[in-house]
Amino acid sequence: MDVSATKRRLLKVIFLGDSGVGKTSLMNRYVYKKFNLQYKATIGADFMTKELRIDDQLVTLQVWDTAGQERFQSLGAAFYRGADCCVFVYDVNVTKSFESLSSWHEEFLKQAEPADPKAFPFLLLGNKIDVDDGHSRAVSEKRARQWCDSRGSMPYFETSAKQDYNVNEAFICIAKAALTNEEEQEPYFESISESVSEVETRGGGGCAC
Amino acid sequence: MLGCVKLSGILMTNTAAATELDAFYPIRPECQADIPKTRFKIKPGKTLSARRWDAAFSKDGHLDIAKVLRRIHRGGIHPSIKGAVWEFLLGCYDPNSTFEERNGIRRQRREQYGIWKDECQKMVPIIGTGRFITTAIVTEDGRPVEEERSRNLQEIDTVGTSSRSSLDANNSALDKKVTEWKLTLHQIGLDVVRTDRALVYYENEANQAKLWDILAVYAWIDGEVGYIFSRVRQCLKYKSNLQGMNDICSPIIILLENEADAFWCFDHAMRRLRENFRCSTGTIGVQSQLSTLSQVIKIVDPKLHQHLEELDGGEYLFAFRMLMVLFRREFSFVDSLYLWEMMWAMEYNPNMFLSYESGSASKGGAGTSGNDKHLKQFGKFERKNVKMGSNDQQLPLPVFLVASVLETKNKRILKEAKGLDDVVNILGDVTGNLDAKKACNEALKLHKKYLSKIKN
Repeated sequence: MDVSATKRRLLKVIFLGDSGVGKTSLMNRYVYKKFNLQYKATIGADFMTKELRIDDQLVTLQVWDTAGQERFQSLGAAFYRGADCCVFVYDVNVTKSFESLSSWHEEFLKQAEPADPKAFPFLLLGNKIDVDDGHSRAVSEKRARQWCDSRGSMPYFETSAKQDYNVNEAFICIAKAALTNEEEQEPYFESISESVSEVETRGGGGCAC
Repeated sequence: MLGCVKLSGILMTNTAAATELDAFYPIRPECQADIPKTRFKIKPGKTLSARRWDAAFSKDGHLDIAKVLRRIHRGGIHPSIKGAVWEFLLGCYDPNSTFEERNGIRRQRREQYGIWKDECQKMVPIIGTGRFITTAIVTEDGRPVEEERSRNLQEIDTVGTSSRSSLDANNSALDKKVTEWKLTLHQIGLDVVRTDRALVYYENEANQAKLWDILAVYAWIDGEVGYIFSRVRQCLKYKSNLQGMNDICSPIIILLENEADAFWCFDHAMRRLRENFRCSTGTIGVQSQLSTLSQVIKIVDPKLHQHLEELDGGEYLFAFRMLMVLFRREFSFVDSLYLWEMMWAMEYNPNMFLSYESGSASKGGAGTSGNDKHLKQFGKFERKNVKMGSNDQQLPLPVFLVASVLETKNKRILKEAKGLDDVVNILGDVTGNLDAKKACNEALKLHKKYLSKIKN
């Protein structure tokens, strides 16, 4: 049996938000530590993985990138299933991208059907705070935080994928939230682990809390 | 013997050919590392050259399409004539027409495009100015967004009134259509700025704006082109700005310098792809191709199909992107052009032009099946359909192309894939590693296999 696999946990994270808010850029910044202007619009869904250590726990973060155009939402279900954390992204310079957040939230709950919607970890990222030195900003931090508070104090980060501001911090928080969720799901996994060996090894890492 | 002579010729010209390609579609130096490598090579004696192309026309302009298709099957099309050849492959023109007839059609189409563009420009003055937008100009209920208010309000009112006089009863329907269209324009802009940025061509804002203009006009008239007027078809709801159209349109505007010609060529490409972009509540047209794919794999490789079903991948959503933008993301820019022309040559049906012009869905071909000479005017793939007497629009070549890609990864998927994520990962490895010609030939084989299996 692969020893490294027994210690590693796979955490599935879904990124959602309007087209062009910077979902792909944020992931690339975090996973590959780079930013370029050549990103293409995401079609369908794709993912990137990154290994990291959280409180002595080795985890593999599997971050799913999705297309932002609302027409593509219906395709998500198969990819959303089994998510441990869902991250919403909006562009602080585009009001519409903030106003869409509620419908992204609803869509996720509808499609992913998390066991306990109230306890499921969500995060909000307000991206592109670098643009025009903040002069073109259309959504205030206060307004964003209010929205988060109304959704069960969802953690909020203001980021710039371009200038690598706050991206790492946000992803650490994402990973922690996902890990907590995954551990809470554990009893469920154990109940089926007798027949599925890989799942059994997943639980071997013990609780990191 | 002949093969050997040719081979040495190819080896010698390889480097020269590569530089030649770079000259046609230059890449920004800083992007070289980020893009898949190109496999296509201009092969003397195989690739359809400008000289061969010119020689395929009779004096008055009739095109020996059979000869052209044969050539394309062997080695693609030389970049210098791609645009002109594509127009035929996509059914913009009838090979059985004269130069004069085609010039007439071209003139007419350019005029028509001009009229549509003017119409659009009256509503949104930035169209046709060499600039474009990436932020919304109207709110959901159709009111202009602040910045644009002073500049646009007048134009909006003018158009509103003039349309009202003629279409009183449809007044609100038209207003709604205008608003919906305006709401798509910044989305198109957001896609345009993210289209093929590695190409030097798109460093120029005017070229980006050209792409935007064409997509904007297309979004306005889509649903009307060549068919019944849109109101009848509104229930179908073709989403005229679904992401991905920019990927389809981008190469075309590079190949055809005249904007109106590029528009019509794109329009014809969309005629075969538009079903994929069709939206109704909760579904996107491409899903019907995905379910065809599922059927095909179930027949030709039941083991793989079963495995995918067990992984919750029975819907084949992982192939979504390949079908939606015809492998643009899996191939380098040049290779996707090569793949497309190879595919279109294989799918070619000489009746395409007439069926588009008459607005009938059926291309036909039956009734001519006894005639060998006539059959040669069909592409290899379409020929098989005609021979079998099947005119099944539900079995498009791209589906078999995806199937062939899946088949090349069959062993790894069966052995390594324990989840949908593994399937996505394994398929991700094909980027830059596929040979367009080989993939097309494999697709043809699978098509044959599928047809013979369902027959029995």
